[in-house]
Amino acid sequence: MGEPVRVVVGVDVGNSTTEACLAEVAGDRADRVDRLASSLTPTTGVKGTPANTAGAVTAVRRALEAAGRPSAVPDTVLLNEATPVISGLAMETISETIITESTMIGHNPDTPGGEGIGVGTTVALAELGGQDGPVVVVVGAGADFDDVAERVNRAVADGVDVTAAVLHGDDAVLVVNRLTRRIPVVDEVSAVDRVPLGMLAAVEVAAPGRTIRTLSDSYGLASTFDLDSDQTRQVSPVARALAGNRSAVVVRTPAGDVTDRRIPVGTLTVTGSGRSLDVGVDEGAEAIMEAIRRVAPLTDVHGEAGTHVGGMLAAVRDTMTDVTGQPSSEIAIRDVLAVDTLVPTTVQGGLAGEVARENAVALAAMVRTSRSRMQAVADEIAAQLGCEVLIGGVEGEVAVRGALTTPGTAVPIAIVDMGGGSTDAALLDRDGRVSAVHVAGAGELVTKLVDSELGLEDRDAAESVKRHPLAKVESFFHVRHEDGTVQFFDAPLPPHVFARVVTVTPEGLVPVPVRTTLEAVRTVRREAKRRVFVVNTLRALAQVAPQGSLRLLGSVVLLGGSALDFEIPAMVADALAPHGVVCGIGNVHGTEGPRNAVAAGLVDVHAGLAEPVGAP
Amino acid sequence: MTAAVDSVRTLSLREIGPAERGTRPEEVVIALSPAFGDPFTKTIVDVPHAEVIRQLLAGIEEQGGVARTIKVYRTADLAAIAHYGAKLSGSGIAVGILARGTTVLHQRDLARLSNLELFPQAPLLDAEVFRMIGSNAAQYAQGRSPRPVPTRNDQMARPRWQAKAALLHLKEFECIDHARAAVEVEPVITRVD
Amino acid sequence: MTAVEPRSEASVRASKRTEVLENRPVNLDGFVEEWPEKGLVAMESDFDPQPSVRVEDGRIVELDGRTREQFDFMDTFIADHAIDVDTTEAAMATESVEIARMLVDPRTPRAEIVALGRGLTPAKILDVVKLMNVVEIMMGIQKTRSRRTPANQAHSTSAKDNPIQVAADAAEGAVRGFAELETTLGVVRYAPLVAIGLQVGGQVGRGGVLTQCALEEATELDLGMRGITAYAETISIYGTESVFVDGDDTPWSKAFLASAYASRGIKMRFTSGTGSEVQMGNAEGRSMLYLEIRCILMAKGAGVQGLQNGSISCIGVPGAVPGGIRAVAAENLVASWMDLECASGNDQSFSHSAMRRTSRLLPQMLPGTDFVCSGYSAVPNKDNMFAGSNLDTEDYDDWNTIQRDMQVDGGLRHVREDVILQVRNKAARALQAVFAELDLPAITDEEVEAATYADSSDDYPDRDVLADLEGARSVMERGVTGLDLVKVLERTGFGDVAENYLQVLRQRVSGDLLQTAAIFTGDFVPLAAINDANDYAGPGTGYRLSGERWEELKKLRHVTSAENPEEEVV
Repeated sequence: MGEPVRVVVGVDVGNSTTEACLAEVAGDRADRVDRLASSLTPTTGVKGTPANTAGAVTAVRRALEAAGRPSAVPDTVLLNEATPVISGLAMETISETIITESTMIGHNPDTPGGEGIGVGTTVALAELGGQDGPVVVVVGAGADFDDVAERVNRAVADGVDVTAAVLHGDDAVLVVNRLTRRIPVVDEVSAVDRVPLGMLAAVEVAAPGRTIRTLSDSYGLASTFDLDSDQTRQVSPVARALAGNRSAVVVRTPAGDVTDRRIPVGTLTVTGSGRSLDVGVDEGAEAIMEAIRRVAPLTDVHGEAGTHVGGMLAAVRDTMTDVTGQPSSEIAIRDVLAVDTLVPTTVQGGLAGEVARENAVALAAMVRTSRSRMQAVADEIAAQLGCEVLIGGVEGEVAVRGALTTPGTAVPIAIVDMGGGSTDAALLDRDGRVSAVHVAGAGELVTKLVDSELGLEDRDAAESVKRHPLAKVESFFHVRHEDGTVQFFDAPLPPHVFARVVTVTPEGLVPVPVRTTLEAVRTVRREAKRRVFVVNTLRALAQVAPQGSLRLLGSVVLLGGSALDFEIPAMVADALAPHGVVCGIGNVHGTEGPRNAVAAGLVDVHAGLAEPVGAP
Repeated sequence: MTAAVDSVRTLSLREIGPAERGTRPEEVVIALSPAFGDPFTKTIVDVPHAEVIRQLLAGIEEQGGVARTIKVYRTADLAAIAHYGAKLSGSGIAVGILARGTTVLHQRDLARLSNLELFPQAPLLDAEVFRMIGSNAAQYAQGRSPRPVPTRNDQMARPRWQAKAALLHLKEFECIDHARAAVEVEPVITRVD
Repeated sequence: MTAVEPRSEASVRASKRTEVLENRPVNLDGFVEEWPEKGLVAMESDFDPQPSVRVEDGRIVELDGRTREQFDFMDTFIADHAIDVDTTEAAMATESVEIARMLVDPRTPRAEIVALGRGLTPAKILDVVKLMNVVEIMMGIQKTRSRRTPANQAHSTSAKDNPIQVAADAAEGAVRGFAELETTLGVVRYAPLVAIGLQVGGQVGRGGVLTQCALEEATELDLGMRGITAYAETISIYGTESVFVDGDDTPWSKAFLASAYASRGIKMRFTSGTGSEVQMGNAEGRSMLYLEIRCILMAKGAGVQGLQNGSISCIGVPGAVPGGIRAVAAENLVASWMDLECASGNDQSFSHSAMRRTSRLLPQMLPGTDFVCSGYSAVPNKDNMFAGSNLDTEDYDDWNTIQRDMQVDGGLRHVREDVILQVRNKAARALQAVFAELDLPAITDEEVEAATYADSSDDYPDRDVLADLEGARSVMERGVTGLDLVKVLERTGFGDVAENYLQVLRQRVSGDLLQTAAIFTGDFVPLAAINDANDYAGPGTGYRLSGERWEELKKLRHVTSAENPEEEVV
């Protein structure tokens, strides 16, 4: 007779979820592990802190319920040695466009009127009549399109040379359709009252589907306004700013200008290898990442007070202080990921609410500490459940053991766990040694990039774009999915999705509040995932790979929630393929998918099925 | 947006013939209720029917769309009026409107009681809103995705307008003529200075 | 926007006084002339039928001038299920003025006038109440109300469908005295979480509070059967066949739904009110009150214990015609007289004028009804997802003062700030624990803090709506029931709340809540028409505000102490 069968629960407290694996272990035979059930519940509190107890107890109870033994008391609960990881996210806009003296109107109204170019002196509608030279009519708020057309027609009949018009309302087509003379008209200029009057101005409207040719060209501007070479040099930024528009207005004012300037947003001080480097955040992501490479391994980062990035870094430090009680001076930022992005921003000095896509830098930072407080969690669980609680196995290491139960894997094996705040990698080499790393930037950063680049200002919508494939609702009875396939429905789709780009969620189609095409949304989504998950996977694996060479990794197993994403695993696998790495989604014990690797690994190690990690 | 109206305009609906199915794929049908334009001349908040039609048509025209207007006599039910209009519309898109101003954007494949956009609170609809409704109708007809017209809400509309709405509803029902088929009309808007 | 601009003729010179009057809020209300032919008339119409009844072979074959062949389905249902065939001919032979006087005369016992009422047709009932002025109607309500003790009901909703707000305001509403709490949604899919918030919050405030969530009928029934809600109210009925048919319903389908609730021991009442039929253009030429009396008899015939009436969401229609508010009081009287529990309106935004809002309230508040408001907004009106009520949180102190001035019991009381903060905080914490145990999106300590001190939904941090909706879906899919919630509350240290909740669920088995006008005291003693029967028989009888309850209502926010005039009574 061997020892009696014992009930063991492995519990993995992760950043966002707490997982449990319930098993029966026969004391005498190492191969006698019967896994009975697993469970998943949100982690309570920051990982590695006493607040985890509630979630851990819930996970154990759930697993017992799932196994049909709700009132059983386990013999042993196994906890991972979880350490707190706190991450933060911030974004700085680093460029801005400023128009001075209302020199130009460069927005794209949906429906400008007429076609061609008109040059003349700006005159308010009320003053129209009796002018000698060519005039551009400026129409303020509240004017009715019928009245405007009638007044312009009367002036033209009286001999005034009206060459173009600028309107406040969305009336350009309506006015043009009622004019006796065909002129270009730009509308929806919300601050039309700030258009300088009595100045020479040019209005250009291109045919539908075309862009303007004259005002977007420096020499075109020179010819239009009769400029010398110095003046031409001066107005060339205006031409550049107008390129790509279907309509534009340029007013020649004494000192009018368009400038595109960098916004100073402070410096980052990165420290490592015994030296410190300062890098301006406005230099962009490439420069920041280069500075971090130069000081590798990074030991700390500081930002300038009063900037978003500085505030974020301080907040991350403060949170860690609150969680662990360590003084903030002892807490170091261990990794930073900077990503360049574009943010739609209203142009300063614009008359029509012009929006320019300004450059921005998004920054994710991460701090971790070795000071785990899992013993407090263990004591509390023991008190609540009335059983033995053991802490064993550093995360990452146990996860590798769990991942190794995926059919088809072999040592050396690396895992990548893409979470919400950080991306974690670990490697088990042929000698049984495990090395692990956490890098900043994961799901939350993707959501933020999607949100800002699409101008959604709606985190929920961005989250939905990140998680689900897209489709375009082409009629009440069919949608075209992003892969081009068409799906038909027997019952009409709900009206609020009609003609819209939608995400295909388990709850049905959800409209994405954008007016761009499906392709544009898809590009933003995939680009964001590539810049975060692909970049971070490569970055993290390079840190654990032997001699930093991905070629020596062998197999890479993807774990965690993001491994369930519909496209991230394929994107990561594609990026790793050139390095000769076999990459796939974990399937712990051939049944659990990418979930439960640590919890199951804890049980296996405890039962002696797997080598205790770290054994010589 | 053009909201102010300096001059007074009147509306007359010149009958062209029976309302028939349109063929132009981008057209929008404006379907009017039995009392619209005649005998009533303004909405519950005194927006002249001439202005309602003018703004709807302007919204459609500004988007490069085309419109046909029909008048329905056999029902005063807004959903039925709009759905009937949608079925006659070359694009399948119609704007249905009651004399008191209540408006709906409909599409022929939808269930009658469903809609694309509904503007149930007639007291909150002004010229600017009618322009946006016309603009959105044209965009739907062209297969584009307009931003839905922002809906307004006012809890105190009930004490002020509920009874007048009921009265106008009853009057509209009085104008139902079961014997009279829907006709296509040309809205003739005349300025009275 | 035009809806709030005062009306005036701009061109004509007006006196300063006219200007002042033009700017009074009452002139923002809408008023219309009667149009009796179309039913746009409160209760005095030449187009209403004359009372008549004829019985053959134990069956009513003629009702209010129509023979059985001419009956619509309302007539059929009323003739077959609502009117007592044995007594109807005798009852109908009684002079209307005699019946009206019996209603007012305190020496005619309630039982006698109720028994007589069982034999009357809709037109006869209308004929009787048409003889009564508003004070007489109030006398009638005072006498015929089912339950001796008046009570009140609240709306607890959130413009953001925030379940924490609903829980905190439910707790405050409960401690202020509401016997029933009702919620509804902006985004319907939020319903399970908001209904749970209402139930948990209600049980924190005090024992004995009943809750319901107004939704489309299938979901409302589902939530009731799971024990997440305790009663149902928003089952609408109408006075004409055409309006009924427009809603794909019949009196029989509504009666069937009522029996579904009864089969599970769930309290329920129907909803109707003057003005709904004419609002929908199908009044068939009858006055608003005549059609409402048909609804009341239909409810009685279906066997439900009570009715919410008093125009409800159509109040703008009777409110705009002459004598309309008298008709609204009359419909409450008829519901009470027909021996139904009456939740008597005052639950929808009614007027821009505070004076008019109060006067509309008095015919129910002064005599007392089973529920003076069938929805006093226990949230600021902008958070009221029933589209606003005649009274809201801003009116709490006014209400308490009117109770004290008139020495009437409107069901509420003044509660000290510290008590309110305590129950709001506890409600939010209890819901926080429930959400955590059920794996629903976490409620943060910051949200609990906000709930403790908040006024409106603006004062709460925004929730992750997508995650909440996902959570709401899982509540329905996992089949979470009221008992699960009780267990969770018990496990998380809210044993007293769990105990209150369990008591409410227990009543489903005992069936006490199926008795007419049943509510609970704070100690879960049912108060219903059978054990707390209205025994009003003139001065010195019936419910009198006295003793401990009167002492409670003497308290206001600021009352100068007689003992020490430098201090206020706490």
